Amino acid sequence: MPPAPSSWTWKASILVSDPRNDGIAGEWFRPGSSAAITAQLAVRDEYGLIVDENGHELARDWLTDLNVSARIGSVARRITFRDNSVFETTDNDGVDAMLARAGSKTGSWVHRAEAFHPRLIVFMAVGVLLVVAIYKWALPALVELAVAVTPPVVPQIMSVATLKSLDRAMFHESKLADEAKKRLSDGFADLVEHSPPGTANYTLNFRGGGLLGPNALALPDGTLVITDELVDMASGDTELLLGVLGHEIGHVEHEHSLRQLYRAAGVAGLIMIIGGDVGSGMEDILVEGGGLLSLSFSRNAEAEADRHSVELMARAGYDPVAIARFFELIEKKLGDKGRTSMLSTHPGTPERRQAVLDHAGSLATAKDKPGADQVR
Amino acid sequence: MDLQANVDEPVANPEHRLSFAGSGREYFGIWIVNILLTIVTLGIYSAWAKVRRMRYFYGNTMLMERGFEYHARPLQILIGRIVVFAFLALYNAALNFIPVYGLAIGLPAFLLAMPWFIMRGLRFRARVTSYRNVRFNFTGGYWGALKAFVLGGILSFVSLGIFLPVASRWTWKYVTGNLHYGGRDFAADPRLKAMYQVWGLAAAILFAALIIFIGVAALSSGLLMQLFQGDFDTDDIPVGIIAIIYLSTFVLLIAYGIAGLFYSAGIRNVVMTATAFDGRHRLVSDMPRFRYTWIAITNLVATILTFGLLRPWAAVRLHRYVVEHTALVADGPIEAYMSEIEDEGGAAGAEFMDVEGIDIGF
Repeated sequence: MPPAPSSWTWKASILVSDPRNDGIAGEWFRPGSSAAITAQLAVRDEYGLIVDENGHELARDWLTDLNVSARIGSVARRITFRDNSVFETTDNDGVDAMLARAGSKTGSWVHRAEAFHPRLIVFMAVGVLLVVAIYKWALPALVELAVAVTPPVVPQIMSVATLKSLDRAMFHESKLADEAKKRLSDGFADLVEHSPPGTANYTLNFRGGGLLGPNALALPDGTLVITDELVDMASGDTELLLGVLGHEIGHVEHEHSLRQLYRAAGVAGLIMIIGGDVGSGMEDILVEGGGLLSLSFSRNAEAEADRHSVELMARAGYDPVAIARFFELIEKKLGDKGRTSMLSTHPGTPERRQAVLDHAGSLATAKDKPGADQVR
Repeated sequence: MDLQANVDEPVANPEHRLSFAGSGREYFGIWIVNILLTIVTLGIYSAWAKVRRMRYFYGNTMLMERGFEYHARPLQILIGRIVVFAFLALYNAALNFIPVYGLAIGLPAFLLAMPWFIMRGLRFRARVTSYRNVRFNFTGGYWGALKAFVLGGILSFVSLGIFLPVASRWTWKYVTGNLHYGGRDFAADPRLKAMYQVWGLAAAILFAALIIFIGVAALSSGLLMQLFQGDFDTDDIPVGIIAIIYLSTFVLLIAYGIAGLFYSAGIRNVVMTATAFDGRHRLVSDMPRFRYTWIAITNLVATILTFGLLRPWAAVRLHRYVVEHTALVADGPIEAYMSEIEDEGGAAGAEFMDVEGIDIGF
């Protein structure tokens, strides 16, 4: 039986008090109108109809054509008819019973899960575990994936633009003697030769440091810059400077800048997604917390680059712990004896020196061992 | 006393106060299921989660015994989120992959795109909101948003906050003056003087904190100088001084947060109370600023101390407080209104506002 036209003008007396079809009490609104009409929603066979207090029919549709809003807490339900008239009721159970009778399987399992019940504790535990798992495993995996699919042109653009802007804002031309430059460049060529042939195209550039002072920096495509002030500070110890360059090569080799970038983006994305549910104050705190965590990542990267310097220098036949001399130098000259702090990008200098010596020591014993076995 | 005068006085217009029918207990389940399903679906459910959250808060916000409705569909929200994520990813890629030059091009582009997002966001938010089956509408344009949000932001930034109330007034006039319900208009004309009074208290809080901070910094750096007269050795800095420096910075940040809460609550009071609907009904906001700030701060502390567990309770607590200090003073009977049927448009603007933390609206 087809439904009658669901126009409010169509009036027919209906026995709403029929015990089988106990109507759901609520209010009915004409399409787009704010005038509420007290009415009941009754179910007849396969269709639902709205009748006013006098038993006049206001709207009618197949049950399957009704658009029923999902159940959330005890918020009033909206049932929209095809003519855009709306029936609103707080009788959520009545609506669910009607939907069940209409054979609707979409019943609100989400709503049932949301009920206040001890099972919510389990949900919480699972939620915490999943966040930890995502942070520990999924995020690093995604970072690796992003690094892998980044075309080499990206680090190239990054490097060219950074060097250009640094040249404009900070650096000036190097006043280093050609002889000193040549010594460093030759040593640098040695280091590059002993680095795995990767995508990086290593070049060494000399600049006056300006505001940056004694410094060396690596751009992600393998462009390295060493400042005159640093060379002067080493007072002729080329090997020490090569140790520092080995450290910078380590940053390039391990793609630290891209990794750090993607990691920060991943953490920001993670916070953004659950942001609406944790509140703006908490979101700010999470962002700051993410910043602290990225500092710890930065300190790890520095330590990794230090170890790279030790290994690379050893491979190229230089003193593996030359970079330790550099740390000693800045401890003396700059008075930098600070401990590692949660708020710094680099580990404390004395600690770094010790870590370098330890790493060199463990490498030496590892190398000795196979030999010792052969003797025995 | 002249008793006759009382007889002639017009009957006070009825005040309809808003109320909130939800509870922290009920919201807790919705909240935790939202988060869990969002994680399990790698973020996709967040759009559905948002619709459930918004419907819960709107639907329980009652005016004259009827709740508001939030009509956005999850798929709209999801598409909006994807658009915003793509935009922000592009912007950040430009910023990071092309240092300096990316910023030189990206920042102006961002500032020019922002008003468009905000305009569309306000429109979407209004159009997916209904009360008594009638939708709200927003008709603000691009240039108004540019003035209210970008120029206003720049103005208050370069004036170190002195012109902040002027910027706030632009913002609220734009947001409220372009809002409609059932074809009738809202209009706000807050007085700048009242806004500056609100600003005065917030500025005083910040100023006092700044004085304390500078005092502590000067004192501790003086102590440091004395220590360094002979030997320059960072190991000698007493831990106490470092702790004081960190602590005073922390206090400054807290003071900034408190001043912000005071300001936003006070401005809401001034603006809403100066807002009229349909030229005759008035809105009222009478939130005590101290209590509002207290609730916001204790909420945050409770949320942190319980690792987020009390967040649903906190969210309901603050929302209820704001809602219960909002009222409509009706001038005469409230007639029936008809919805203007308008296309909602995409949700990208509204999602952009969410992500950027632009929280404007009633």
